[in-house]
Amino acid sequence: MKPKFLRSRGAKKFFRSRIATFSLVVIGIYAMIGSAVLFFDVISVDDTLQRVGPDSTPMFGEQSLEKRLRDVDFQLARLDTALNKKPEDVEPAIAELALAERTISTKPREELSAEIERAWVSYDTLAEQKDEVEFEAFDAKKAELKESGVEDREEIQRIAGNAADASVAELVASEEFVSSLAQLEQIVDDLYAPLTGWSAKLYDLRRSMGTDRQGRSIAIRAIFSIKIALQIGVVTALLSVIFGSLLGAAGAFYGGWIDHLVVWLYSTFSSIPSLIFLIVISYRFIGTEFESSLFPVYVAFCLTFWIGPCRIVRGEVLKIKELEYVQAATAVGFGKFYILLKHVVPNTMHLMFINFSLLFIGAIKSEVILSFLGLGVKNQPSWGIMIRDSAPEVVNGFFPQLGAATVFMFILVISFNILSDALQDAFDPKHVS
Amino acid sequence: MWNYIVRRLLYNIPVYLGIILLLMALLRVGAADPAYTFLGKNAEPGDLERIRQQLGLDKPFLVQYFHFLWDVLTLNFEQESWGRPGRTVGEMLSTAYIPTLMITVPGLMITATISICVALISAFNRGRFADRILMVAAVVGMSVSFLVYIIVGQYYGAFQLKEWVGTEVFAIEGFDMEKNGFISGWLTYCALPVIISVIVAMGYDTRFYRAVMVEESTKDYMVTAKAKGAGRRKVMFVHMLKNAMIPIITRIMTTLPFLIVGSVLLEYYFNIPGMGNRLLGAIADKDFPVIQTFTAIFAVVFILSNILTDVLYALVDPRVRLQ
Repeated sequence: MKPKFLRSRGAKKFFRSRIATFSLVVIGIYAMIGSAVLFFDVISVDDTLQRVGPDSTPMFGEQSLEKRLRDVDFQLARLDTALNKKPEDVEPAIAELALAERTISTKPREELSAEIERAWVSYDTLAEQKDEVEFEAFDAKKAELKESGVEDREEIQRIAGNAADASVAELVASEEFVSSLAQLEQIVDDLYAPLTGWSAKLYDLRRSMGTDRQGRSIAIRAIFSIKIALQIGVVTALLSVIFGSLLGAAGAFYGGWIDHLVVWLYSTFSSIPSLIFLIVISYRFIGTEFESSLFPVYVAFCLTFWIGPCRIVRGEVLKIKELEYVQAATAVGFGKFYILLKHVVPNTMHLMFINFSLLFIGAIKSEVILSFLGLGVKNQPSWGIMIRDSAPEVVNGFFPQLGAATVFMFILVISFNILSDALQDAFDPKHVS
Repeated sequence: MWNYIVRRLLYNIPVYLGIILLLMALLRVGAADPAYTFLGKNAEPGDLERIRQQLGLDKPFLVQYFHFLWDVLTLNFEQESWGRPGRTVGEMLSTAYIPTLMITVPGLMITATISICVALISAFNRGRFADRILMVAAVVGMSVSFLVYIIVGQYYGAFQLKEWVGTEVFAIEGFDMEKNGFISGWLTYCALPVIISVIVAMGYDTRFYRAVMVEESTKDYMVTAKAKGAGRRKVMFVHMLKNAMIPIITRIMTTLPFLIVGSVLLEYYFNIPGMGNRLLGAIADKDFPVIQTFTAIFAVVFILSNILTDVLYALVDPRVRLQ
């Protein structure tokens, strides 16, 4: 037997809409991932802070050969430093170098050193070759420009720089260079223990969306942020809807001074611009013990979000309390409080659902804004933190972090947008689409 | 009508007292002592006491509350700002609203014009392909974070456009009206934020306006108008639009007070010395007089515009009675 609300006309209408059902499925998937992270600790905060590779690797597409050369340099340098430590420090230092699942090969240390030496030689030849070509082209172009009488120094720098870039591009595209770079990368790869089975797949997942400026996995950070978004969304939307609706319903139903109080409360709260209000509340918590938790975000959002449902439910209850069934219940002799809870509030349920869905979107979006201003989530990643971190990356034309956070957030928010539309279509008889 | 206005004003007095009380309590009660912000964590107790006395923080909360209320009532904005000693609150706020209005006013006008047009197209073709595409675009546009628009907008609008065109069209950030003329200064520093704010607001507004228009077009008078032989276009653009304008204008009216707040994010990101940026700075510096005075002014504007909206509503729509 289906529960009662699934047999209602509104619910049938809702599930007839294919896209609404689909968005519900998407939200379900997000909720599953979020609860897996929350309850089973599939991804811990440490995972999101761990280095999984060189910095700023993109999600897809070829990396420039110069960047690959830099990455090789980075990998070799950190291994070299570790191996050259005091003998007793070498082992822990090498253990620290592990990139998530990827640990340093267990070969004898001498063998490793020899291989690194070999790699350095190969790296140096490539780097030198590149520098030589670059400077040669630059100087040649500069001399040529000077001869032809160009005076503007900036102009000379720019044109010569372009010429140097072009000749480097020509060199790095040459087959010889590409193959020796590939060989070099192979040597670096072999310095790590080979990965097999699950750990290889897991490592691929970590690298699947590239890494940020500190070499942290963008994919892991974006997935972890689902938990944060759902946590903030569910807690604040639920609390504000329940609190706001009950307040609004009570005010409208009892009337008199209670209603005056409710109206006074929400007029007061809504007369302060909500973003200013959010920021003031968040600043209050700086320096307190709650600072690094999500508590300030919850408080700030709940205090601003309850106004919407309160106002709407109050308006609806003002109409409902004049209806016959409420009069009938009064005539039968039920108490006011019983009628309110049993007959009035259940009939505003659809408004609560719609408002929950709308506030959920509001919470996710406001979290991004607060985190961007440095006031929201702290000490753990969230989509807002990721977007904030990506701002200086975008200036350099590096998009994966911004893209990942945006796409993850976009899918959830658009699902909730579709859901709230479908809920309104199905349950709000006045709504026309 | 005057009776109604006076009653509304009287009714809003407790609301106004509540707004100031709420904000001042939020800033002061149980919060960290601002004296430490000015003197550092390891300040001498004597210095702390002196600065508290100087700022009036040593007095009981209610005394501070009525003191500030008196200042608002007598329109005295001469208190010294705590964050920037030597400047009065009035000075700080009166210089900040110009850049803010230069962004918000064109933003509101452009958004309203474009989104009403788009909503009309959408409502006119209701249920057809054009309508669906427009509404999908609106929902997609609504689902992307404001910040993404700002970051990407700055990258393509300021950095990349400069590469493509060769000269600087939009400034990356800042606000320097003195250097160039007014028009070119506005184009350099304000046009890009305005474009971004228009794109962000478009989705919400278009959907709202379309919903209003669609709701109007299901009303009985539309059937009557069609029955008497009016053309489809005439019914839409004359009969429907006139009635749909009431909620549309109401919505625009309710956003008017927020024009002076400006967009905190846009001003912060593009480093525009407007009201939002200044407020953010004031909250960070615990510059209470600036925050309080601004909120006090905003609340007056907000309440008055609410009353004005209701009065206008009654004037336009004879069915609405003021009571």
